[in-house]
Amino acid sequence: MASSSTKKKREPRVALDNLAEGPSRSSSGTLDVVSKAILAPFTHRKHDSNKIFSDLAPAIMTPRMMNAAATVSSKSRPSLGPSGTSRVDFATLGRAPSRFTLGSRRITSRDLQIVEATEELLHEEVPEPEGVAQNVSLLRGFNATIPSSEKSRTRRRQTRSVETPRLSLKKLSLGARGMLGEDDEHEGESVASEEDMVVVGRSETRGRKLKAKRRGRQSLSAGKVLGKDELVRQTHEIERDKENLHVRRTLISAEIAEITHKIEALDAIRNKLEQDLLKLQEDELELDDELEGVKERLELEESTSRPPKSPTQQAHLPQSSRRRKGPAFLPSEHDELPPGVAFMSLSGHTAPITALDFSEPYGTLVSASQEDSQPRVWDLLTGEEIGRLRGHRGSVKCIQVEDQVCLTGGEDTTVRLWDLRKVDEDEEWETSEILSLSDVAEEDESVAEDGPKVQRDREPDGKAIRQSGTSEPERSGACTRVLEGHSKAVSALYFEEDCLVTGAADKTMRQWDLQTGQCVMTMDILWAISHPPTVGPGGPIPNYLFSGAAASAGTFAVPTPPFADGTWDMYRDFVGAVQFWGYALMSGSGDGAVRMWDMRTGQPHRTLLGHTGPVTCLQFDELHAISGSLDKSIRIWDLRTGGIFETLKYDHAVTALQFDTRKIVAATGENGIKIYNRTSMQHSTLLTNGHTRPVEKLRYMDRYLVSGGRDSVVKIWAL
Amino acid sequence: MPTELPYAADAEVSLSYDELDVLRRQYEKELAQSHVTVQSKFNYAWGLVKSPMREHQVEGVRLLQEIYRAEPGRRRECLYYLALGHYKMGNYEEARRFNSLLREKEPTNMQASSLEQLIDDRVKREGYIGMALVGGAAAIGTILLAGLIRRARK
Repeated sequence: MASSSTKKKREPRVALDNLAEGPSRSSSGTLDVVSKAILAPFTHRKHDSNKIFSDLAPAIMTPRMMNAAATVSSKSRPSLGPSGTSRVDFATLGRAPSRFTLGSRRITSRDLQIVEATEELLHEEVPEPEGVAQNVSLLRGFNATIPSSEKSRTRRRQTRSVETPRLSLKKLSLGARGMLGEDDEHEGESVASEEDMVVVGRSETRGRKLKAKRRGRQSLSAGKVLGKDELVRQTHEIERDKENLHVRRTLISAEIAEITHKIEALDAIRNKLEQDLLKLQEDELELDDELEGVKERLELEESTSRPPKSPTQQAHLPQSSRRRKGPAFLPSEHDELPPGVAFMSLSGHTAPITALDFSEPYGTLVSASQEDSQPRVWDLLTGEEIGRLRGHRGSVKCIQVEDQVCLTGGEDTTVRLWDLRKVDEDEEWETSEILSLSDVAEEDESVAEDGPKVQRDREPDGKAIRQSGTSEPERSGACTRVLEGHSKAVSALYFEEDCLVTGAADKTMRQWDLQTGQCVMTMDILWAISHPPTVGPGGPIPNYLFSGAAASAGTFAVPTPPFADGTWDMYRDFVGAVQFWGYALMSGSGDGAVRMWDMRTGQPHRTLLGHTGPVTCLQFDELHAISGSLDKSIRIWDLRTGGIFETLKYDHAVTALQFDTRKIVAATGENGIKIYNRTSMQHSTLLTNGHTRPVEKLRYMDRYLVSGGRDSVVKIWAL
Repeated sequence: MPTELPYAADAEVSLSYDELDVLRRQYEKELAQSHVTVQSKFNYAWGLVKSPMREHQVEGVRLLQEIYRAEPGRRRECLYYLALGHYKMGNYEEARRFNSLLREKEPTNMQASSLEQLIDDRVKREGYIGMALVGGAAAIGTILLAGLIRRARK
């Protein structure tokens, strides 16, 4: 009936519908066509069609119907809106009454949430299930883990429960636990009475019990007959339970694996964060140093701006370059250099480098080598040799450069003070000499060599020239002072402003005043060895020193352990290194001991023992002293306690080191320069474009490192 | 390998209140530990979907959607369960879309094809109801109209 009436109605409406035909729908099917035809007015010309209806039959279009139409479309819209097309079809209309009948149901935000998410979810990829997902479907997992899976077990247990006379087990257990069980007793009794009535087989068991007295007690299970079906069912159930267990086990293993992965990932993150923390610590130390440098600079600039009190105060920076901590002034191009690469090489020496030092980065470098008594002076901006320091008669073993002042100590037992500004002058004289060489025929030596002011080297072919003799008083040469006093080769020196301390192979150390050129004090290490400051055995050398100390009794000569290229030397420098600060002097000597001296008294007040080989290099600051020796180790000493803070072991003898708060840079008998990061405790090596034979000496300032090796090349690195 | 899925009839069978409560407790306990296993979430969601109450079904579908988003390996199964959930709630459009996506991936799946059949049947049934409603309304309207016109003529 309904359909026939709709068909009657269709013709006049179709006319209307043709006007109101909306966008074509992609769906097909008779139902949809019919719904489209009839409901088109509802969707598009809702208001018009409603007006038409209301004109025709005001009674029909009651507010209720209007509401129904409106709510149907509005209700359907939220749920179907996102899908793009608002399909108000018969299906949704059909749902309307059911919705009304169910009472007022509010659309919650959850509904909207769900529906909105559908769109997004449908576009997400659906990969092949693998791993756990493939093995155990969700449904199986569900069936394995829901509580009802336990039901069969409890049921089976119940089937096995045997009716027995009331044992009041509960009362017994409560009594064992020490709890009062009076109430339970009551309960037990009342229940027992019921049980007595319900249990059918009770009398049987009692009867059996009587019999049992004669035959011995029968087991509990014998009294019960389950039946074959029941037992078969139980076997199936048990098998299923076992499968469930297997499923659950798989699930849990998968979970454990997943969690392990997560833990590993988190661990990796934590390690990375700890490393970042260390890096920050390092940066903080660097900033501390920079602060000190800036403060110094502030003082300096203030003092220069103020009228000078005395000429000498203005002459140099307040602290020697060895103790300056702040960053150096570098050309801007230096920042662009890749770190850890030797970007400049100075070749010119013909023998392994024995000593080097420079005034400042891109300043002046002085380097000396074996079998060459003339250290070379280089300009680090251009990499060109400026000149040589002539005067020594043996190889130079130690050098220190501070601005234009250079001090060298050599095998000829003398220490010479040079003015580096005057090196160019020497060169000029040298070239002019060559020209007039031909003039030299009969003229021979006899050039005034003595005299502290003038030094002129005597070439073997007798380049002593008439000219030199005549212009003697005018030419000063680079060497400004010669300090004599040691009886053997000077192997270590350190100076600051006007005070100089030298150590020599005669096992003594001398303190000099550079203004006057006089030796102020002599400190005898041998005496210190045999008279240790702490109370101990007198004359004989204490036996905690290594056996090489016996050699210190006579001439000191110890073979070095072979370097990385297999070569080795005889090490004769009894005093490997010296450094002082104020009145505190520290020396590293051939007996393996690091001694701390008071320069006011000339007595050693502390000895740091630990090295088993001669100490070759040494440096200290307020907190630590670091020494390297031929025993292939570097020791870090804590100056407050006098104990060893850390020992770094290497493969070959350590010949040079320098440190600051963040790193230790060391030459350890290999081609690469070793850098030890003190905050992260990591070792690294500088190899790129490096030396081809073991590195012997090095020195760095801020991010500029100069190293010299047995390959006779001086290399400059950007750190 | 075809995924193991329950027939739609299984969704009509609901769990007892106690069972659902146990599942809910398990889920909430794991939530408190901030590590929810997929299985317990699914258990709870499936239990909710099976329940006859609309709020439960909505919540169940929401949880299933979360699983869908989080676990790419489980998505294929979730398609089916989501379709089933929407089917129970009456959102046939969504149900059909999820189910068709699943059938694309697994054409041979019996449960998916039976679900499709069910969705179509439901939609048709509701369509008939709707048609009946409209027809009835139209019939009442015509009768009333005829009565009014007759009255007007008189």
